[in-house]
Amino acid sequence: MKYIDAGYAAGLGTLFVYSVLLFFRRYRLTRLSRRVAERPTLTDRP
Amino acid sequence: MTTLMEAPARTISVGREVPRPWSRRTVWAVRGIGMAALVSIGLTVWLGLWITPPDKVQGNLVRLVYVHPPIAWVALYMSFGTAFVASLLWLWKRTRSAYWDRLAGAAMEVSVVFTALTLVTGSIWGRPTWGVWWAWDARLTSTAMLLVMELGYVAIRKIPSDTDARARRCAVAALVTAVDVPIVHFSVIWWHTLHQGATVLNANLSPTIHGAMAWTLLLGFVAFSLAFVWMLAMRMRIETLSDALEGASLDLALDERRAEGGGDS
Repeated sequence: MKYIDAGYAAGLGTLFVYSVLLFFRRYRLTRLSRRVAERPTLTDRP
Repeated sequence: MTTLMEAPARTISVGREVPRPWSRRTVWAVRGIGMAALVSIGLTVWLGLWITPPDKVQGNLVRLVYVHPPIAWVALYMSFGTAFVASLLWLWKRTRSAYWDRLAGAAMEVSVVFTALTLVTGSIWGRPTWGVWWAWDARLTSTAMLLVMELGYVAIRKIPSDTDARARRCAVAALVTAVDVPIVHFSVIWWHTLHQGATVLNANLSPTIHGAMAWTLLLGFVAFSLAFVWMLAMRMRIETLSDALEGASLDLALDERRAEGGGDS
């Protein structure tokens, strides 16, 4: 049974971790892009 | 310059090119696919570990069939297939667009994860059935070669260069890598291998698995395919956002240079 457990844990565990990483990478970049969009350029400065 | 840096700035939106957020419909579609993937993977695990019967020859070890082949299916056909088709569409002048390059890059990264997992889960299954973690068998070796080539693609993508040069280089790398895919698929037919022949996609297209085991395996294919679609959507968004941010930070750097030079250009 230990091989079956190991197979399921390796397969599903890795996919879970990868999904979490993807979610947070997208979240961070979305926030960053909002900040960049609102950041003033030279033309906005008085 | 100090005055300029310290000058109060209006925080209005300034038309820097950043991608629009996902529409409400896209958000719900991606969430729906994610939930469907979670539920179907959960169901596959439940059926695979507790409901389906053990195999006559392999006993309980057959339960790995509900994980290993679906992961290999996604690695070889869905994710690599997407990267290959997207690369072809980029190379064909009539359909050339940055979208295809980004899709190929996103799909290839997902393919790296699934190909690596194919090798890991296969190795875990191989140890109790063959007595070894690894053998230089045609199927295993060609899959390992695929992983190395996919990693090469990802490395090529990281080399700094202009967008078109990078896209062309990557598309060609994907086409070269694609040569290995039929070798992986047909390796169990062309050579005498330790690895068993195809159970579902065999020469007669008549699956040699039946009943609850067949349905659970089918569910596994659907579940991991849904997970792939969700991962691809997320990875594609990351690719789009990071490309746009790279452009925006270049604009910003140019702005600052101009400011240092007196702001007259």
